[in-house]
Amino acid sequence: MTKILTGNELLSGAVVYLDADGRWVEELQAARVYEKDDEAAYEAALAAAKASGRVISLEDEDVEIIEGVITPSRTRAQIRAGGPTAPKFDRQHLGEDEHVSL
Amino acid sequence: MYRYDEFDAAFVNERVAQFSDQVRRRIAGELTEDQFRPLRLMNGLYLQLHAYMLRVAVPYGTLSSKQMRMLGHIARKYDRGYGHFTTRQNIQYNWPKLRDIPAILAHLASVEMHAIQTSGNCIRNVTTDQFAGAAADEIIDPRPVAEIIRQWSSIHPEFTFLPRKFKIAITGAPNDRAAVKFHDIGLMAQTNGAGDVGWAVYVGGGLGRTPMVGKLINGFVPHEHLLAYLESILRVYNRYGRRDNKYKARIKILVHEEGLENIKGQVEDEFSHIRGGVLTLPDAELDRINSYFAQPAYVDHGVVSVDVEREKILDPAYGRFLENNTFPHARSGYTSITVSLKPIGGAPGDATAEQMEAVADIAEKYSFDELRVTHEQNLVLPHVAIADLRAVYDALGEAGLADANAGEITDMITCPGLDFCALANARSIPIAQDISRRFAAPERAKEIGKLKIKISGCINACGHHHVGHIGILGVEKKGTELYQITVGGDGTEDAAVGKILGPGFVADEVPGAIERLVDAYIARRTTEDETFIAAYRRLGDAPFKEALYGNG
Amino acid sequence: MAAISSVLSAPAPKHDKLKALGILALNGMFDEMDAEAVLRQAVDELLPGDIAMVSSFGADSAVLLHLVSLVDKNLPVYFLETGKHFVETLDYVETLKQRLGLTNVIALYPDSADLARFDPDGTLWETDPDSCCHIRKTEPLEDVLSGYGGWVTGRKRFQTAERGVLPHFELTSDDRIKVNPLAYFTNEDVEAYKARHDLPEHPLYGEGYKSIGCAPCTSAVAEGEDPRAGRWRGRDKRECGIHFDFNGSIAKPVSQSSLHLFKDGAFKADPWKAWAEGDEPADVRYTHVPVSVFVEHRAAFLASPHPIGLQVNPGEKVEDIEGDLARFSSVAINFRAFTDGRGYSSARLLRERFGYEGELRAVGDVLTDQIPFMRRCGIDAFVVTNKATREALEKDALAEVPLYYQPIGERHEVPAGTRPFLRRPE
Repeated sequence: MTKILTGNELLSGAVVYLDADGRWVEELQAARVYEKDDEAAYEAALAAAKASGRVISLEDEDVEIIEGVITPSRTRAQIRAGGPTAPKFDRQHLGEDEHVSL
Repeated sequence: MYRYDEFDAAFVNERVAQFSDQVRRRIAGELTEDQFRPLRLMNGLYLQLHAYMLRVAVPYGTLSSKQMRMLGHIARKYDRGYGHFTTRQNIQYNWPKLRDIPAILAHLASVEMHAIQTSGNCIRNVTTDQFAGAAADEIIDPRPVAEIIRQWSSIHPEFTFLPRKFKIAITGAPNDRAAVKFHDIGLMAQTNGAGDVGWAVYVGGGLGRTPMVGKLINGFVPHEHLLAYLESILRVYNRYGRRDNKYKARIKILVHEEGLENIKGQVEDEFSHIRGGVLTLPDAELDRINSYFAQPAYVDHGVVSVDVEREKILDPAYGRFLENNTFPHARSGYTSITVSLKPIGGAPGDATAEQMEAVADIAEKYSFDELRVTHEQNLVLPHVAIADLRAVYDALGEAGLADANAGEITDMITCPGLDFCALANARSIPIAQDISRRFAAPERAKEIGKLKIKISGCINACGHHHVGHIGILGVEKKGTELYQITVGGDGTEDAAVGKILGPGFVADEVPGAIERLVDAYIARRTTEDETFIAAYRRLGDAPFKEALYGNG
Repeated sequence: MAAISSVLSAPAPKHDKLKALGILALNGMFDEMDAEAVLRQAVDELLPGDIAMVSSFGADSAVLLHLVSLVDKNLPVYFLETGKHFVETLDYVETLKQRLGLTNVIALYPDSADLARFDPDGTLWETDPDSCCHIRKTEPLEDVLSGYGGWVTGRKRFQTAERGVLPHFELTSDDRIKVNPLAYFTNEDVEAYKARHDLPEHPLYGEGYKSIGCAPCTSAVAEGEDPRAGRWRGRDKRECGIHFDFNGSIAKPVSQSSLHLFKDGAFKADPWKAWAEGDEPADVRYTHVPVSVFVEHRAAFLASPHPIGLQVNPGEKVEDIEGDLARFSSVAINFRAFTDGRGYSSARLLRERFGYEGELRAVGDVLTDQIPFMRRCGIDAFVVTNKATREALEKDALAEVPLYYQPIGERHEVPAGTRPFLRRPE
């Protein structure tokens, strides 16, 4: 199963995804997708993320690549990526100074 | 209303200072998340799916206009212009940022409010009848005792790390509007043979994974010994409640596994030791607290009734409002008004900053500066002169708060569900919205009459689905949201847990399934006055099961 | 020896009292530097009329004698008149007696028959200093001190490496108490005390004598040298024999940061240990015995003369040992995880229902945010390993809301006017 690493940024609480450059970004499609044999890299990223303390509620999320689009398997993850469906709200955003990287 | 004195204010300010320092230490990296999490939870700050969520305590659901205005101010300044009123008579903000929490708490403290003990394995905000101190059927106003319980349970050193959370509900009326039998401890006012008022104590009620109806552990505890009795129960629970499995840690499981008589024996033994000790409540103290809850200075307006039938003809919407949203008041010439937060197609329990401010103004002008939050996620103006009814209705209408559906099928309890909640398995709000739209027509709602639908997005049952006349529980099955429907639950003094009649439905099928249940009821009721729940009790499962699944 | 015969008839050592208090538990009671309180506890509370001190009237004797003058000017102070003292020392005895108003300084002389037999020409110090000390100090003292339940010494940790772990209170092998009020004093503390109270110096102090005994065996020490290096210089001898053995092996020398017991506002040396697999009920001492173990071996524990404590683990019922509480000089409540709040109930029951008044300590997951709750439930000592908690305690910066609504117990902590039931409208 392929997966991504996600969490919530400490100050804003906003949903963030780890990208290939080790930055935490809001955009799901920018997330680094870890293949089955990327486990070492995933574990290293998770450890580094935990150590930084700036992203909380870290979890891996199973995804599929469907026609080039990263698609989370769980409804929960889809809602996290898009914001509440009812009432419809824009998701939380990182503030000016709340961009973090590993 | 209870007025905080210097001590109360200092207490809250100390707590704000303490938590503000903890937030500062967290942001500075001096505290790890593992260290900070229990601290923030003790101050009502959760992390939900999209953001933090701050739960603010509304002790026994009572608010002044000033406090409601501040809630609106916070919604506008630190959130997205709205707040969500909960079944715990609290309010939740869904979008605060961590760095703003100290400021929010300071704002709250300025109006004697806080987020203490709105989370964690401690004694939570005590809840009560939303019509307390106003209802015509009341034996005693429960708020003074609720306030004393609030004080006793605030940062209680022995009971802050219980096996699990602990909820106490209290009602002063024989008609239970506070679901006391579904709380860890439920208190119901009783009159003994000598004519003294005291408390019947129910223990071990609860919803969640294992719904239980509370059991009567003591039929009459006098006021002066109530705290000693509560402390006795809490001590037995703290010592012997299960800590090996969080799903079996509530007191309901202890009572269930040990048996009521066994637990009662332990509680009474404990009580025999501490009865008459420091927790004895002197009459003078009760009188002092009572004085805060003195009846407002009612005015005789000379209007003691309103001709609802006439108003229904003149203005059907207003007529429906009078019929559904008023509640008999103990004082002639007055009534209590339910302000519905269940507009058709809306998110149950949500109110905008502007609505909060509007209702605060209305309360100030027409309800002696007082408001209530109901466990059914509505607001109440407790003391409105009948002479002012029309003016209040019009003012509510201007704020978009004059929905006349209190107690009807569209007045649903709904948890935030998977749209917001990190624990949920399925969405709740869209289900409520669909049902609400399905039954939007006033005539249809009136035809159905009093019917309580309650929706939870997971087994934790924040939406009280077990005690809905019709309950809906969202679950996740193979990646899709599925909804189980229960029938026959009741959260009142006739407490009952609803029954699952068959397999779940996908979201699209739910409104139709509800409609079939409703139609089955209407077809079989003896008269228009026989309610859904009464008909269910008379008829049993069969017709409802058939309505849901056919007779195959 | 007439003055001594009366004390020979003093009561036997107070075993019961020792058991009840737990001698080493006393060591947690006092601030390290609160020498006067230590002495007062010993003289007024622990062994009234049953304690004495011995002074060499040496270079730093003035400090302890000054403390004695504050606590009890009539405390028996024995001075070993070995016949080998510097004349300056004998002058100094008179100076201090007058200056401090000491009314019960008693000179002890060696047995003349012993002197005639073992040291006829007065040169034993040179050939066999141990024997010299024995007949001039140990023998005369033993006769006297066997009549007391305890005695006060001026020993200090810093003085020699062997003394680096000296506690305030020690138990000797024959169940007597040795009290060392100055145990934690450093050289600087001694000097500061002397200066603060303007105490007269030993006349030889200014000449380089830092630790002064008998004239033949004392030489001056160089700057920076161990103060006692001048005693028995060149010989393999450090202690003179009168500080005879004491039982109760004290923990290895510890640095302040490895002390984990927080009590009375400071981290302290902790004589207690936890019950371990293989421990023998009849033999253990200064051990916290779990309730279940105590109940199982109750007879053996009750028969044992040694001080023991109790450990209450989560789920253990304090009711099970209610009748035996007097047996324990310390009770440890084990908080296995900070989220497990059972210990709070145990603590309140011990304090409020069973009237336990001894040390009540929290062990296990003891964290800054919980300590205020623990205190309110009657816990007065904390074994802390968490670093942040340690810092918070040291800085007196616990995460605490110091205002309380609910009354807790009847025993302690009820600031008037802060309870809802006690609050009245103005």
